[in-house]
Amino acid sequence: MTDELELLKRDWQKKEAELPQLSYEELHKMIWKKSSSIVKWILIISILEFTLPQLLIYLPSVGEPMKIYDHIGVSNYLFVLSLVIYVVALYFIFQFYRRFKEISVLDNSKNLMGKIIKTRRTVKHYIIFSLAMVMVTIVITLIGIYLNEDIIHIVPELAEGLKKVSPDKLRTTLMITMGILGVVLTLFIGGVYFLLYGLLLRKLNKNYAELKQLEF
Amino acid sequence: MKKELEHKFVTELQDNQNIVHKVCTLYTNDRDSHNDLFQEITIQLWKAYPKFRGEAKFSTWMYRVALNTAITLYRKSKKRIDTQDYESVLFKIKADEYDETEEQQLRLMYKAVRQLGDIDKALVFLYLEDKNYTEISETLGISEVNARVKMNRIKTKLRTILNP
Repeated sequence: MTDELELLKRDWQKKEAELPQLSYEELHKMIWKKSSSIVKWILIISILEFTLPQLLIYLPSVGEPMKIYDHIGVSNYLFVLSLVIYVVALYFIFQFYRRFKEISVLDNSKNLMGKIIKTRRTVKHYIIFSLAMVMVTIVITLIGIYLNEDIIHIVPELAEGLKKVSPDKLRTTLMITMGILGVVLTLFIGGVYFLLYGLLLRKLNKNYAELKQLEF
Repeated sequence: MKKELEHKFVTELQDNQNIVHKVCTLYTNDRDSHNDLFQEITIQLWKAYPKFRGEAKFSTWMYRVALNTAITLYRKSKKRIDTQDYESVLFKIKADEYDETEEQQLRLMYKAVRQLGDIDKALVFLYLEDKNYTEISETLGISEVNARVKMNRIKTKLRTILNP
């Protein structure tokens, strides 16, 4: 085997002269092209992840149903919750920025991979936190509905049609629907999200595991 | 100032572009991907160039950036291993230079090397480039002992591929 590798080495080194040669101009043109590295993708996707949920709140179609929260009297709790969410989000963004800055192509391979994974993990934790907060919002809303005496007026537009339904039945139906819908939607978003990242980082995770496995 | 740096970089890259070509050949299987990876490595080298202080040789520094780009930063998925449309000069064997057994051995060896995983390829590449274990271990971030262990495992792996 050693002989064969030596044979390969000799052949490999002999071929140096036959490799293609790019001209000065060709190389010069290349240095101003845009990178499409995984680090750049992670940065773009992460910025989207940090901003999109915040932007959604400002869309009118999303803002309108917020009135329901007024009706059931949980607006104040949700306001406090959103303050908490902002503070935590800022912490995550800061953490992300710090780790992102540490990524350097000049590091050895193991460190480079480790730092990319760590940066990515920050965003992952942020997403888990966000999804958890969606769940908390759902729970608060459910409690609000449960404690609400005047259940018919939660959705004023439907008040006429709902008069015939008993309030207790309406309450239970509303709670079950909201609960199931919320949980399913959250799990769905989470599922798509982790699938996406699993695919994007599959190669990197595999190589990192291989290098890590050597050290114990 | 910037122009001067640009000129210095491109000149050095031109002199050492073989290293990048060899990495691209090992990690891609068709001409388009080869060029694509070559470009990404060039961009990464240029971005990191201001941090290159010249305490190492330019070529040594290039090995690290090129391999890191190929293994970690390059995002595109690889095409199938055995594409026949593109055969780099690196894998062509000149029949007249070797006797028949050697020629056959080389052919199989190159094929076997291309089937290895990303990390294994990096080790073989540095080995073929005559790098010692200290350099190999520093580039990949593993200990010297483990680099040797890993290399021995690769040799066994190659042997299994060659003599199934």
